[in-house]
Amino acid sequence: MLAETMMNFRNQLQEQGIAFCYCGFMTEDLLLGIGNTIKRKLEHSEIDKKKSKSVFSIFVEQMQNVIRYSAERETQVDKAELSYGIVSVGESDGQVFVTCGNVIEANDVPRLKEGLDKIKSLDKKGLKALWKETLKGETPEGSKGAGVGFIDIARRAEGGIEFDFAEIDASRSFFTIKAFI
Amino acid sequence: MNTLQINTTERSPEIFFDFDNNNFIIKGESYPEDVKEFYGPPLTKLEDYLNDLEDADVRFTFEFIYFNSSTAKILMGLFELLDEVAERGNTVSVIWVYEEDDDNMEELGEEFGEDLEHATFIMQAQ
Repeated sequence: MLAETMMNFRNQLQEQGIAFCYCGFMTEDLLLGIGNTIKRKLEHSEIDKKKSKSVFSIFVEQMQNVIRYSAERETQVDKAELSYGIVSVGESDGQVFVTCGNVIEANDVPRLKEGLDKIKSLDKKGLKALWKETLKGETPEGSKGAGVGFIDIARRAEGGIEFDFAEIDASRSFFTIKAFI
Repeated sequence: MNTLQINTTERSPEIFFDFDNNNFIIKGESYPEDVKEFYGPPLTKLEDYLNDLEDADVRFTFEFIYFNSSTAKILMGLFELLDEVAERGNTVSVIWVYEEDDDNMEELGEEFGEDLEHATFIMQAQ
């Protein structure tokens, strides 16, 4: 029974073409470990070097997003924070994809949606312009990075990006972004 | 000798600032846990130094394998600083070294370099 449950779970992931999936608390150490594993896996795959670099890069941006912005987090005794989220890498219809998901505050949904709608509507040239403008501008309030992560993801995702929100309750939603390379 | 050196790690680049010879190098991978914590101290020292510089010949080399978007923001600020130093009359060469088959790093170099108005920008495949 135990083995069957786990096997079914694994099969479910495999049916979606998922080669790698992690769900749970995330830290920067974990990002480094998983990142290195993905890098090694890509080096020995048939994917070309440029694509491999894009996959690695998008993975880093997505996982750092979860670590920085997941609303589902625990503060440890030593003040270290653990963020909860899910990240996966897979391949379907000849395209590699990187997906991540995490809980966010309901208040943040409109702002995030607006930003991502804009990014999604831009072509290569428009993305470059927005990327530069953002790099040269002030770091947005509440941002622990450069506020440029999603633009970077869209620039490298040659197959485009998809994103979605699922309401959990009045105060929280689940956010997902999927990038196709 | 007045130098600042930070050794490379798996996720942060080597920094070598040779203030006596105005030769500065950042080289490696860059996706540190906290970019401000990593780049803050060396870049503050660099900025203080460069802001007082006159009639000097400055050479700044970037040699990245990979950098994340937070690092890109730091780099944009650094390019702006170097262009200002050149605008004040110093001779500034910015060298962007990339692996020959790394189209992405080549493109990023071009994108950073195209905004330089006073510094000389050199792309170097290797």
